[in-house]
Amino acid sequence: MTDFEAIDALLAGAREEVPLPPPGERRSLREELNLSQAQVAQALGVGPSTVGGWEAGRDPSGEVRDKYAYFLEGARTKLAERATARPAGHEPPTAEDEEGGPQASPHDGDDVEALHREQPCVLCGRPARHQVAGFPQHLDPRECGTARTGESDARTGSESVGTVRVVPAGRRVRTADESPDPIREAVAAALAAHFGDVEAATAALVARAIPDAMALLDGTRRGGRYDIVAHPWIPDVLRKQTARGSDRIWEARPKWARPELPTGRHQVTALDINGAYLSALKTHLPIGQLEHSSGFDHDRRRAGVHLITPPAWEHDAVLPNPLGNRDEPGPLWVTEPTLRLLLRLSGPKYALCDPPEIHESFTSGATENLLEKFRVALKEARERAIAEGDEVTVEYVKAMYSKFVSTMGESNYNRELYRPDWMHLIRSQAFANLWMKAYKAHEEGLVVVRAMGTDELHVLGEWRRVFPEGRGVSEVKVKDTYTVGCDTDPVAADEHGG
Amino acid sequence: MPQHTGEFGAYGARGVKGSEAVARQLDTLAGGIATPVTTRRGLLARLHYLTRTEHARAAAREAGLTVTDRTLRAWLAGGRSPSRPNLERIETAYRAVRRHNVARYLLGRLNREGRGTRVELHPLNQSQVPRPRQRFVEFRTLNVRHWDAIVRAWTEGDLQALDDAWTDQIVDLGSQWGQYEYVTNVGFAA
Repeated sequence: MTDFEAIDALLAGAREEVPLPPPGERRSLREELNLSQAQVAQALGVGPSTVGGWEAGRDPSGEVRDKYAYFLEGARTKLAERATARPAGHEPPTAEDEEGGPQASPHDGDDVEALHREQPCVLCGRPARHQVAGFPQHLDPRECGTARTGESDARTGSESVGTVRVVPAGRRVRTADESPDPIREAVAAALAAHFGDVEAATAALVARAIPDAMALLDGTRRGGRYDIVAHPWIPDVLRKQTARGSDRIWEARPKWARPELPTGRHQVTALDINGAYLSALKTHLPIGQLEHSSGFDHDRRRAGVHLITPPAWEHDAVLPNPLGNRDEPGPLWVTEPTLRLLLRLSGPKYALCDPPEIHESFTSGATENLLEKFRVALKEARERAIAEGDEVTVEYVKAMYSKFVSTMGESNYNRELYRPDWMHLIRSQAFANLWMKAYKAHEEGLVVVRAMGTDELHVLGEWRRVFPEGRGVSEVKVKDTYTVGCDTDPVAADEHGG
Repeated sequence: MPQHTGEFGAYGARGVKGSEAVARQLDTLAGGIATPVTTRRGLLARLHYLTRTEHARAAAREAGLTVTDRTLRAWLAGGRSPSRPNLERIETAYRAVRRHNVARYLLGRLNREGRGTRVELHPLNQSQVPRPRQRFVEFRTLNVRHWDAIVRAWTEGDLQALDDAWTDQIVDLGSQWGQYEYVTNVGFAA
């Protein structure tokens, strides 16, 4: 009856998830210890945004949950110790006692200690919450299944009581924290080679950013579902017409200024979107070779370039045209992000324009996740570097993603990847993201004055309640502030004076 | 289907011979003068390339540009312009000399000291083939380590030798290699 034994073993192995404090308390525990999300994330082996997510209400699971619970429990004890050490009636923030917590042991007289994290019992091998004289074990003999599962120690094949996380590496396994971090290693090597000269190290790293980005891309695609097709057949619309010329794709780069402002003196803030191209790496990219189709509706599972007749745009006085400032009338080749933006704006939720008319398309099956691991690796390196004030890594990461995007087409600087279609799609995605930011500002009651380039947005009004300020990719930074207009109308000048 | 294709396109498949696609890609990588020979600018650029040194002149003569020095001088000075067959001869001679000059460096970059270059094989287009006769042919990649024979055949313009050299490489794909004799595109970089 091996089946029943297997089921018994499964039931014995299954255990309930460790309880975690509510999200608000998680944040306050971390902040009271003066720890940053990045520091906690590094200790737990996850990204800073993941920790942010946990503090905003998401729940981790599995191994990481145990680690996080251990951290929170430790933070709570530490704060409680601090509070008791202080003389005055300073109520510790985490005084409420939890069942199974460190103070709740019924056997305090003995040499018994409660454990923050469950550890395998030295007798039966199953998780135990207490230790006696340093040996984790069950206090209640009914919990301890010594008689039945006595052979479990031999099965683990090692004497250590704790666990380490392992990942497969070739035919063997290795511990997770040994896995290489190419960005950090490259920065450390460059700094060592230049004897800590920051400028020289940065220049050296920027010079090798393209091959490093390609190596990182290869590393992140290992074991992935799709191969990166680097040299597909390219339709003529994507080929440069002359050696120095351009192809026929319209990327919809915004270059818009509001035609008129209300009279009076206004304080304009020029905002800069951080890492616009880095965020734009998350877009629907065609995987394989582009195939031609005509007279079809838009297929959401495919992506590519489309010949469309754009709809008329009637909101030019307050919002930029999502197509950029195109003077030439008639049909034009646009990319997937521009088309999706137009389709979205023509839908019932926005109803800002008519739907575009699609004439023909070159598309392929698409996925948003092709560069996702690559993007997350760069984003986390960037966040960590900003948290640590490491400007060398920030510059290196910036060179990696921006040069990766600008040379992935027909560039002689990067011959390993020949995807002009991806280059156009990623740029257009950055422009579409900027357009959506302009729309958000407009919806929240700000006055959008200019939208230009990849990442620049000029607004009037209290923008801090709409966009968080900072250096993260979801935040904005101030590029410039200037005043415009004249003091003819004192009332308007007072309104916009701040 | 481990053999050569007997009658390509009998059921509507479309594609080019793999070796032809390789030659095309090698030509792209070799680069050269983009302006066509029919314009004055393109003609002069080619003539300068073919007559700059004594060595270049000999190579051009060997590549089929058998005109007298007097004629060449007249073409360069602009007094006369070459006839249509001579324009074609100039173009073929330029291609041959350019390939010959570039081959050494191209070979070094493709072999990469024995590490070779990754080649993508994009399968033939079956969209016009009747459904029951369509076969599943997937995208394949291959690391080609020995480019010497391929580049030599390409330099000499010997299509048969190039085809043989390329076939020698794609047999490494396994028993399916015959499906990749004809392709839509062969992608690699140097």
